[in-house]
Amino acid sequence: MLRMKTRIGVVAALALGTCLLARGQALSGIRPGRSIAQPAAVEYLYPEQVTVAAGKTSEVTLHFRIAQGLHINSHQPGEKELIPTTFSIPEGFGVRLDAASYPEGTEFTLPLDPETKLSVYTGEFTIQAKIVATQGNHLVEAKLRFQACDKDACMPPKTITVPIDVIGK
Amino acid sequence: MRRNTLVITAVLFILAVFAWAGWANWEYRRQAAERLLASTMQGVLAPDATDGTAEFMTKLKGKAAPGFALEDLSGKKVTLASYKGKAVLINFWATWCAPCKIETPWLIELRNKYAAQGFEVLGISADDLDKDDKQKLSEEKKEIAHFAEQMHIPYPVLIDGDSVSTPYDGLDSLPVSYFVDRNGTVVAAQMGLTSKEEIEADIKKALGK
Repeated sequence: MLRMKTRIGVVAALALGTCLLARGQALSGIRPGRSIAQPAAVEYLYPEQVTVAAGKTSEVTLHFRIAQGLHINSHQPGEKELIPTTFSIPEGFGVRLDAASYPEGTEFTLPLDPETKLSVYTGEFTIQAKIVATQGNHLVEAKLRFQACDKDACMPPKTITVPIDVIGK
Repeated sequence: MRRNTLVITAVLFILAVFAWAGWANWEYRRQAAERLLASTMQGVLAPDATDGTAEFMTKLKGKAAPGFALEDLSGKKVTLASYKGKAVLINFWATWCAPCKIETPWLIELRNKYAAQGFEVLGISADDLDKDDKQKLSEEKKEIAHFAEQMHIPYPVLIDGDSVSTPYDGLDSLPVSYFVDRNGTVVAAQMGLTSKEEIEADIKKALGK
């Protein structure tokens, strides 16, 4: 009987310990930053993985979504000061970006300045990337640079990582 | 029989402890996230009871405007403290910000209208500056200067606004304006494009009218 009680006590102590550990992890998992305060303006949707012929140019269609109520400049926003949406693949991933085709932007005017026509993307958009991969499995961290606004205010330019698993066969 | 009852009770107790642990963990994370949100987002948009539009709520309202010393386009250091005794509109903007471009002519007009009463605008560019690359930095400064010239800005244009973003609500969106009275206290703030009338009303508050 005493042995039984001891067993129960040990199990209960372990459970409490687990609980306290979980609390500690919760505390250490939180880091200050702006990401919690501001939702992502642009999100990469898919594909997560593509298989291409190694050493040959292949076309991949990348899908993105812009948060509701926001727009980002198109690749050719018109005015020199405006920051264009640009896709790139840094060196060192075994995958080279040959060219990228961007969609035409849609015309957008701010209510208080109807004469200035901006070229923007809203909702979902795609970028056609022509890539050349070497043989093997490459976890590519491509980049998308953009600058988002709503009708009254603009957020600073941002670069997000576009993770794609490229398999060169 | 008695032994079985004890075992079942112990198992139930353990399950209850785990359930409580899960709930406590979730609750703790939720509260920590709320605290973090409150500390990082000092300025937020909240509905204005009078007209239903969004009002910029900042913790700086009623407090001393955070001091700064920033370079102007000629490289001269300009401090906020040197404007004590004047009503000041601190306007954060950037060359890539289309709404900023719309409000700039209003700021120029209002600055000229109220300058004689002791009012000044400080336009602070939040454009990125590549401080490690002298050539790039020089080009970036030129672009800001070109923009200011194109817009015929008569008031001081300061650069490197990002370096003072923390005390000024993070500058997560532009334009942002703070209206500072003659004693250096923030009496009003606006985020995003508003209207010339709203800006003028807050300038009057800063002037003590």
